[in-house]
Amino acid sequence: MGLQGKEREAFEKTLEPYVGIEIGIKEIGRDEINQAMIRHWCEALDNELPIYTDAEAAADSMHGEIVAPPTMLQAWILPGMEMATGEPDPNDKQKELHRLFDDVGYTGVVATNTEQEYNRYLKLGDRVKAVTVIETISEQKATGLGIGYFINTKTTFTDQNDEVVGSMTFRVLKFEPSQQPAAAPTDDSGAPAKPTRIRPALAHDNQWWWEGVQADKFLIQRCEDCGVLRHPPRPMCGECQSIRWDSVEATGQGEVYSYVVIHYPEVPGYEYPLAVAVVDLEEPGLRFVTNVVDCDPEDVHIGMKVEAEVREMDPDFKMVVFKPIA
Amino acid sequence: MSSVQYAETNVGDALPEQKIEVTSSLIVGGALASQDFTPVHHDRGAAQASGMQDVFMNILTTNGLCERFVTDWAGSDAQVRKVAIKLGTPNTPGETMTMTGTVLERNDADKTVVVELAGKNTWGNHVTGTITLALP
Amino acid sequence: MPTTLKDEAAIVGIGQTEFSKNSGRSELQLACEATAAAIKDAGLTPDDIDGMTTFTMDTSDEIEVARAVGIKDLTFFSRTPHGGGAAIGVMHQAVMAVATGSANYVVVYRSLNGRSGARYSEGVSGGPTTSDLIHWSWYMPSGLMTPASWVAMFTQRYMFETGCTSLDLAEICMAQREHAVNNPNAFFYQRPMTLEDHQTARKIVDPLRLYDCCQETDGGTACIVTTPERARDLDCGGAALIRSVAQGAGAEQESMTSFYRPTISSLPEMDLVAKQNWEISGLTPDDIDCAVIYDAFSSIVLWQLESFGFCKPGEAKDFIKDGALRLGGRLPSNTHGGQLSEAYIHGMNGVNEGVRLIRGTSSNQPAKNGHVLVTAGVGIPTSAMILGQLD
Ligand SMILES: [Zn+2]
Repeated sequence: MGLQGKEREAFEKTLEPYVGIEIGIKEIGRDEINQAMIRHWCEALDNELPIYTDAEAAADSMHGEIVAPPTMLQAWILPGMEMATGEPDPNDKQKELHRLFDDVGYTGVVATNTEQEYNRYLKLGDRVKAVTVIETISEQKATGLGIGYFINTKTTFTDQNDEVVGSMTFRVLKFEPSQQPAAAPTDDSGAPAKPTRIRPALAHDNQWWWEGVQADKFLIQRCEDCGVLRHPPRPMCGECQSIRWDSVEATGQGEVYSYVVIHYPEVPGYEYPLAVAVVDLEEPGLRFVTNVVDCDPEDVHIGMKVEAEVREMDPDFKMVVFKPIA
Repeated sequence: MSSVQYAETNVGDALPEQKIEVTSSLIVGGALASQDFTPVHHDRGAAQASGMQDVFMNILTTNGLCERFVTDWAGSDAQVRKVAIKLGTPNTPGETMTMTGTVLERNDADKTVVVELAGKNTWGNHVTGTITLALP
Repeated sequence: MPTTLKDEAAIVGIGQTEFSKNSGRSELQLACEATAAAIKDAGLTPDDIDGMTTFTMDTSDEIEVARAVGIKDLTFFSRTPHGGGAAIGVMHQAVMAVATGSANYVVVYRSLNGRSGARYSEGVSGGPTTSDLIHWSWYMPSGLMTPASWVAMFTQRYMFETGCTSLDLAEICMAQREHAVNNPNAFFYQRPMTLEDHQTARKIVDPLRLYDCCQETDGGTACIVTTPERARDLDCGGAALIRSVAQGAGAEQESMTSFYRPTISSLPEMDLVAKQNWEISGLTPDDIDCAVIYDAFSSIVLWQLESFGFCKPGEAKDFIKDGALRLGGRLPSNTHGGQLSEAYIHGMNGVNEGVRLIRGTSSNQPAKNGHVLVTAGVGIPTSAMILGQLD
């Protein structure tokens, strides 16, 4: 739950000297902007824009010559293999700052935002260097990952003539992991399983209905004594208090009575925006809550004629969904 | 290769959707091409030690794929001025990232458009953000 | 022994913690701090307390709070279910306890780490197989699993039937924000909102946008209930007489998903609560000077105005149009900023605001404060009370 009170004040004091300083490591492009690295990037990312690798096409373009893909900007100053094998630079103030957080339990780190601006496209033969400044450290925040602090850095890129060619801001969250991350479910091969919709809990009063759906049936519970239909199923008839019931298949015809389009939060296993409707069924007095499929969520409206279909929405899981009647 | 002209664009125009198969080759290839040798992007063991299932895509590759998504639509004469992204769920091998985007703003003064985009995998949005482009 | 709950109890003390996004302490500690503050405000000591009540959803056991605060013998304790619908249900419990002599001084408390701990916006899932989980199982597979999604379903139909639009919801949000701007305890203290802010905020569940949804808050509140006779003898911060209090659940009631009633554009359970409050108190809507109307979402304020008869069914948007909910309007409401703009403590911060209105100490004090209506959650079994001046 993060540091509090005096401890927190003392900790935040130790952060202050870092705001506004350069991180202190050398960020100098080891090579000029060159065709080999550009080609390597374009091949890896399947970028076929001719201005990056085709001298003739580039000459005819507004650039007049080969240019580098703008999002490669940072690649020109990264140290490559050293990132895997090198010793940490003792002058790296950013690492030093992160260690301060680690020491008091904010061990998590995640990049949350990045923003790059390009003043001009880089050309073959250009040589860039960069300077990074720790711009801001936020106040303590509660986030989805846990309690933590956002650290903003700003990197300014200059060329061989000391002209600014671009800049990059980077935002990372240093956080106290709120709990052990749950192990992602895996399938038999050990690969992470795809997320699926939340399945219903099954028990005596509803299991038969879901089993019907898995057998491609859209069932409605019916009182065996007075014949009243009811949905969602209940163990007793509210009209005659009978506990005897059977079921009939719904006609599946209906009309949207109300609906929503869900944007937030996005739960894994569902597609958003997600349309959910309350449908007036043809059977008098009955309604059914369902997804409306096979149409743009924005096109769902009250009064829309819809019909039911039992559809496999996840592997081995069928649901009754409704689709527009053409 | 033809380029989209500023005059032809309208706020709300949708860009052609792209489906990007996220493979180990793309993740590792992108990381090394961007000179980012941080082990979690090419070494499965290192990635797993950090709590992930497998290697995951680095930010430069994500940036590069966003750029490609937009310039595949806009063409060679478009100039990328700004890329601002927010990172979400990780991209790991076996995912498919679906890229969608629309024209959010048009600025007549400098003939720039702002494209709002999202790259989504099965766990949610891997990336959301905007790219500002100057068009001919 | 009373035959109704008219004028049988008074609130004599209120207490609360700060409201934040990250309290940095346990829900139990928040409950204890709020309880101790309320006891002090009532001019009592922990020894005096002999009853305790809270929500079934609260994670702090009565006996744990009692032990920590130094409360000793308890002769009454109980809990009320159904989320925010319990906000006045707990008051109903406390009133019954003191009216029947089951206890003399009852603490009503509620605390939650609603932002840094378990967040309601993350939705329902899992848990033991109770009838409640079977109920949610009709909705989770379709993705209808957050409070915003359930309320949006009613809102959409209400808009269709009445012509109410998002602009009408904006008036509620802006009126309450205007109040929060003056309330130092509010999340949105000194942070005004424009119509454009409301209309351009991201969609949560269409037709509800971000500012139509309440805060997620860490914090605790508590209040002390006793009989009017004892209240008169106390050197407390001011007593609010409970003129009436009632609970209600309606026909075909579900928890937040009563979609199967002939109409879903009104609140039969709140109609029932309103009817009882008018009958018990002998008052009418004209007697109510200001109100604390439960506002987990903006639209639910409209339906309650209709349930309590401040306007006709379907006409709440016209009632609020000319600033009726603002200071100087017909019914200044949620003068603390409400749960949209002050904090979301499951309606219990509204109980404290109700007491402040009676005392004349609200950050946005209306001129007239003879009677204050305080309501609880919407779409679920719910409750409300009317507060008045203790002579
Ligand atoms: Zn029957």
